[in-house]
Amino acid sequence: MANIDLSRLSVMVVEDSQFIRSLIVNSLRVLGVGTVKSVDDGGQAIEVLKLVKENPMKAGMMSVDIIISDWEMSPVNGVMLLRWIRRHKESPDRFVPFIMLTGYSEPKRVQEARDMGVNEFMSKPFTVNALADKIFSVINYPRQFVHTSSYFGPDRRRQSIPIDGEERRILTDESPQVEVIRG
Amino acid sequence: MANVSVRYYRRKNSLREKTVGLGKISNDDIGFDEDAMAAAIAALDEMAEDYPDWVAGLIDKLSEQHRRCVDSPEQRKSYFEIINSIAHDMRGQGGTFGYQLISDFADALYFFTHAQAGMSDNHVEIIKAHVDAMRVVIKNRINGDGGEVGKELQNGLEAAIKKYSKK
Repeated sequence: MANIDLSRLSVMVVEDSQFIRSLIVNSLRVLGVGTVKSVDDGGQAIEVLKLVKENPMKAGMMSVDIIISDWEMSPVNGVMLLRWIRRHKESPDRFVPFIMLTGYSEPKRVQEARDMGVNEFMSKPFTVNALADKIFSVINYPRQFVHTSSYFGPDRRRQSIPIDGEERRILTDESPQVEVIRG
Repeated sequence: MANVSVRYYRRKNSLREKTVGLGKISNDDIGFDEDAMAAAIAALDEMAEDYPDWVAGLIDKLSEQHRRCVDSPEQRKSYFEIINSIAHDMRGQGGTFGYQLISDFADALYFFTHAQAGMSDNHVEIIKAHVDAMRVVIKNRINGDGGEVGKELQNGLEAAIKKYSKK
């Protein structure tokens, strides 16, 4: 069994509850994450992302590899932050993996974040095993990104499984309407 | 390319390169360092000792907002929003640290104070009943479901809700 080495990884934690934030930050550090930056809300996260792009030395990190963000924050909540990252022209990395930490499990809420381009959900209560699972998933099971007129984010279909009802995904890589970008 | 309506981005997995390397290793053959996992779980357990103090601080904040709801009914909307937000904060983590009742009571308080729930004097009383119940849990360090004491607390809270809901 080969160990995952997190020492070169930079993670930003966005959480307004100081206690929960310290739980996550401490867990990441003990797991071996090289750089952990934490902020209070989505607005501060956006400022850090911009600073990392403009002046990484001043920001104290060369990149942000994964974002772990709470949903419920003020004034800029987790979904607003995610929307900015995925869609705003100033976003430095529209592909950055985004793990949403949430107490919400209502299907409507889950759908909302999914449609905004979230990679993974992590339900509260927070546990080390759940954190490790989600990090493992974004590292080892990345999904292609899909860009359409109404969506930009990780492919919302994780697996090719038969679905009930009409098959809406009729295009293939060879279709003239499809462009595959590798890199 | 004028007709392109879907773009698939299949990018190099730089995170895997950073953490696992360039070798072809099956996902089944990689994992987190077991000692680091054990250390992280132990560190979380240690932090659990601070949990009651954190919750006690939040209960004080809830009490303060409840007092404001009584003193300044015309501004209840904003106080209810703060209470709702604090309840949301509390409901997530109690179970992890053995205080399931805190999560349960906070969960109920969260639903009682959402935007469409109403803001009558009875609602304010129900908030107080929740805050009082949470205070008893933390003051007496009542773990898990609290056994008989937990049942009594839950029954008492339900009775208060019933009483004020009827009015």
